[in-house]
Amino acid sequence: MIAAVALIIGVVAGLLLHPTVPTWLEPYLPIAVVAALDAVFGGVRARLDGVFDAKVFVVSFISNVLVAALIVYLGDKLGVGSQLSTAVVVVLGIRIFGNAAAIRRHLFRA
Amino acid sequence: MTAPTDPPEHVEKNFSTKLLVDLVLDPREPGYEEAAKRRGGRPANHWFDKPLLTVGCLLAGFLLAVAYAHTHRSAPETAKVHSALVDRVRSAETRTDELARTEQHLTDEVNTIRNSALAGSGKLQQQLRTEQLQSGQTPVSGPGLRVTLTEPSTPNPSSGNGRAPETPTSAGNILSDRDVRSVVNQLWSDGAQAVAVNGIRLTPTSAIRFAGEAVLVDLQPITSPYVIEAIGDANQLDTGFAASAVASRYQTLKSAKGIGFTFGEESTLRFPATSTPATLRYATPGGTP
Repeated sequence: MIAAVALIIGVVAGLLLHPTVPTWLEPYLPIAVVAALDAVFGGVRARLDGVFDAKVFVVSFISNVLVAALIVYLGDKLGVGSQLSTAVVVVLGIRIFGNAAAIRRHLFRA
Repeated sequence: MTAPTDPPEHVEKNFSTKLLVDLVLDPREPGYEEAAKRRGGRPANHWFDKPLLTVGCLLAGFLLAVAYAHTHRSAPETAKVHSALVDRVRSAETRTDELARTEQHLTDEVNTIRNSALAGSGKLQQQLRTEQLQSGQTPVSGPGLRVTLTEPSTPNPSSGNGRAPETPTSAGNILSDRDVRSVVNQLWSDGAQAVAVNGIRLTPTSAIRFAGEAVLVDLQPITSPYVIEAIGDANQLDTGFAASAVASRYQTLKSAKGIGFTFGEESTLRFPATSTPATLRYATPGGTP
């Protein structure tokens, strides 16, 4: 409940504040978004599994975003930035799908 | 709860394979399991749970919203720049038209004043009028010949491979500045006294050339159909043009490539004065060879 409210408040704040994304941060935005989605779905699934832990949620969220950004940063420096961001998106995308499937099994028993 | 199927035993040996299988079959964050094990199965219950959860969800929501706003703001940004440029081009065009009209108006005024000033000296006025006519400074009308060249309506089969050609105008560009020029030259040699191409009056300094995909007459782009009109003895123009090599060439092109090619006498043609009067900087009168 708190989580949903906080999520909505975060969305509203982001829409209202219109923060300008610095240019150097722009390439990492899509990666951060996918990592955030992964953390949210993982958290919901853990909650349904009954093993949710706020600390794990926050730490995994932040570390996911940071590690994904770091991989892309390194890739950019080494000339394989777009390939590595594709890799990150694929891996996190698979996880999102798997978590969404688990959530679906929980909710609909199907 | 329906737990995801456990990975088969044998893959345990190969760590990287297990990683992939885990990734696909059981994408749960292992941290949750471990934390639950450490707590011994009891649900987590710390004082910092709720604030942490709130902060994490706030961050996640904020991030998603920022990404959304960022993506949707940068698109209108380019559109804004584009429409601003279009506006500037449009206003520049309007201004050009306005200036051209003003210029035409002023030229008329100058002509009227000059005519009234020279009213007494008949010969001088006559000479001036002839020269103005020849240099395209005054509108002119009279009988003559009209030649029309049209691009074939169907595009070249070579560019019709299902994709739209990169520049639509280039599809089947058979006619170019050379064609317009050769018709104009033929008309001059048949005794034309004034020539206009698509309503643009030719002057002694006019150039017909090709730039990109458009034919330029005195720097003004024109497109198909190319209408070349000449004022002169209509009969002489007609017979001379019909018998010329230029006409037979376009008759051939008409049957072979499907271009449009017609010509015929006109009882009254009207040409405007040139919109780009020549400013002769180097050519000065005098100096008999």
